Amino acid sequence: MKLAARLGTKRKLGFSIGVPATVLLLLMVGSVSSPHFLTVSNLLNVLTSISIVGIVAVGMAFVTMSGGWADLSVPAVIATGAIILLGTQPTLGTLGAMVVALAACALAGAINGIVIGYIRANPIIVTLGSNIIVLGIAQAFVGGRIVYNSDPLANQLVKGKNLGVPFIVIVFLVLALIAHFILARTVWGRWTIATGGNYAAAAASGVPVRFVRGIAFVLTSVLAGVSGCLLALSLQSVRPVIGTGYDFSSFAALVVGGVSLLGGSGSIPRVLGGLLIVQLMSNIMVLHGFPTTAQGLAEGLVIVFAVALDIKLRKRSGGL
Amino acid sequence: MSVSQDDVAAGSSSSVAPLLVMNDISKSFPGVLALSHVNLEIQPGEIHAIVGENGAGKSTLMKILAGVHKPTEGTIQWAGDEVSIGSPHAAQQLGIRMVFQELSLVPDLSVAENISLGRMPRGRLFVDRKRMARLALEALKVIGEELDPNTLIADLTISQRQLVEIARVISSGARLVALDEPTSSLTEFEGKKLLAVIKSLKHSGISVIYISHRLHEVLAIADRVTVMRDGRTIETRSAQGATQAELVQRMVGRDLDDMFPKAIVPIGPVVFRAENLTGEGKFSDITIEVRSGEIVGLAGLIGAGRTEFARAVFGLDRFDSGACFLNSVRIRPKNPAQAIRDGIAYVPEDRRLLGIVPPLSIRENLTLSILRRESRAGVSRAGVIGRRAERAEAARLTKHLSVVPAAIERRIETLSGGNQQKVVLGRWLATGPALLILDEPTRGVDVGAKAEIHRIIGELAAEGIAILMISSELPEIIAASDRVYVLHEGSLVAEFDREGITEENIMTAATGALAS
Repeated sequence: MKLAARLGTKRKLGFSIGVPATVLLLLMVGSVSSPHFLTVSNLLNVLTSISIVGIVAVGMAFVTMSGGWADLSVPAVIATGAIILLGTQPTLGTLGAMVVALAACALAGAINGIVIGYIRANPIIVTLGSNIIVLGIAQAFVGGRIVYNSDPLANQLVKGKNLGVPFIVIVFLVLALIAHFILARTVWGRWTIATGGNYAAAAASGVPVRFVRGIAFVLTSVLAGVSGCLLALSLQSVRPVIGTGYDFSSFAALVVGGVSLLGGSGSIPRVLGGLLIVQLMSNIMVLHGFPTTAQGLAEGLVIVFAVALDIKLRKRSGGL
Repeated sequence: MSVSQDDVAAGSSSSVAPLLVMNDISKSFPGVLALSHVNLEIQPGEIHAIVGENGAGKSTLMKILAGVHKPTEGTIQWAGDEVSIGSPHAAQQLGIRMVFQELSLVPDLSVAENISLGRMPRGRLFVDRKRMARLALEALKVIGEELDPNTLIADLTISQRQLVEIARVISSGARLVALDEPTSSLTEFEGKKLLAVIKSLKHSGISVIYISHRLHEVLAIADRVTVMRDGRTIETRSAQGATQAELVQRMVGRDLDDMFPKAIVPIGPVVFRAENLTGEGKFSDITIEVRSGEIVGLAGLIGAGRTEFARAVFGLDRFDSGACFLNSVRIRPKNPAQAIRDGIAYVPEDRRLLGIVPPLSIRENLTLSILRRESRAGVSRAGVIGRRAERAEAARLTKHLSVVPAAIERRIETLSGGNQQKVVLGRWLATGPALLILDEPTRGVDVGAKAEIHRIIGELAAEGIAILMISSELPEIIAASDRVYVLHEGSLVAEFDREGITEENIMTAATGALAS
């Protein structure tokens, strides 16, 4: 018991010092090693790329913390949101198209949520499957063509800045703030964490565990849809592969930031920390001209290390 | 099997060289001293019982013997030589075999395949199935069980499986067999048969370590008894002439009245009533009542349907027919959330599995069931948790239940078992229940916490809560209950009031002697 107590506090400290320290270290390494790092345009670039991944990661945080591991259907849902938005834009207008796009994404999430939450199928397998299915439908819908944006005003808005802060970054920060409030202060947030912390005990305590876990997948899909819409409007064109890699990067941010892969612990500030670490790392590598493969390798290594550490700490503190 | 019948008869005398001597064994886990200077000596062909409360160290001692744990201190002698049992494999090599409560048979293989699992007789190329069947028949004959060796394990009853497990142990050349609670899930008749088989092991010169809570069985079968308490061996004595009361006194180390203080509480009107409640295959036609301020014990063997009944009342499982009433109003427990709203609380049997949420703090664990506003002491408004209200409620409960430490932000994992159990109890108190169902409320907690939990239960009864307590520890049921219902194989077989609550009465009913 004593040992567990000590590890418990160590682990808390490990986060509160470890993540900010790593961010600081990366900032130092970046500014020392490259003259382009500490420029406004570069840092805004980093922030913008954090935001697109971050919106997805915020949803994924609910999935992981509720014990649903990860949502691998994110790439397909991003593509679906983007394609439907641009595809229906000429007839419905940008706002109407966005509503339809997000509704379609929510539907995909609801199917994931029902199969995983109520039938209790393995989340990895289910979302791996639904990723292929949804992507297939999206591809059939556009038939391999590229869909273009037809509303220059929307493009200007999404690419614009308020007081020097890009619109996308503002959307992300607002969503992150809402998510943080939900997780930290509301009944729903506590239920989400309890469901991941001990599913059976939460159920026996009157927590609607199936609903809670199911909704986490709906939320992730809707947020992935938001990301898809923002991507589509800023890139002005969409192909079905647009969402590739977002599942992995958002999940990487979670585990690196210290959201337990096993569920039951984590917070939005931790997700932010993880996003900063992962994105700064890849930015520094880009500035130094590392090939994309090397970046992937580095990201992969960091994830494997973070996951292993998470399991190891949990095991030692008697949580497994 | 070089030991002759005469040696066996002299099982407890010291003229024979002991088969096993465990000398001054200590075992510590991080922060816990599980065993402290334990001594155990087993003669060839002896049936040696080990008794003690849960947590007394019996299982740890057996795990050391089985090579699962290594002792921190002490030596082990086997047939006169000092040995170190470094792995389960090493224990098997010596001829030490364990039969645990959870059987290790493969359900989808046949009896014969299971008996020779891991050392199947080989023909020229494939398994020699004829020889395998013959070996199985021989082993089954030793224990006097007639079974078709080709039957699948899955098709056998629990007691038959237990016998197959023992047959396997015999045919693998065991010299010492340790049985941990072998009869706990058996009926009286099946248990008797098993005891006869154990005696026959003795006659073939095999030593037996027999761990059981059923003291009458222990006294009937054992040559010698070792009593353990708090990780120590208290005494080893001949079973002849020993009484159950003496053993209990040694096991507990104090009077039962101190352990389960029973307050006299005025008993009010009927709060909960189950009428002809039936859950197919689990329990049938159960009608019981619990009154305000009353502690009603629900006794029975493991598998008698007690937990299943409680789970159905609490909405964790469905029942098929019958009805439940709370304060004379019909309730329909669809799920736990509904049951909580109706005023039922259930402290589950398995604390780790169904009770605590390990990564959460004491505060978060305490308030888990009262987050919603509609629950009586709700700490939220429009879905937002009121931090001050939550903290105040958590602090009140920790104080009321004297949880140590009272630091509500600590992770619950860091508490001792007894304090974790108090927090789980607190979660349910917070809901302000009319009926509190306790399933093995003191399993796996130390003696001090046990007494404290019972003091709390007494207080709750005094507040007018109706309490239904499931327990497999008879002393607990006997000391704490105002009334006792006994289940046997899913049916209600007896009801005893304060005067009728005796160990003999309950055991007779629980083992089905009344039913037949």
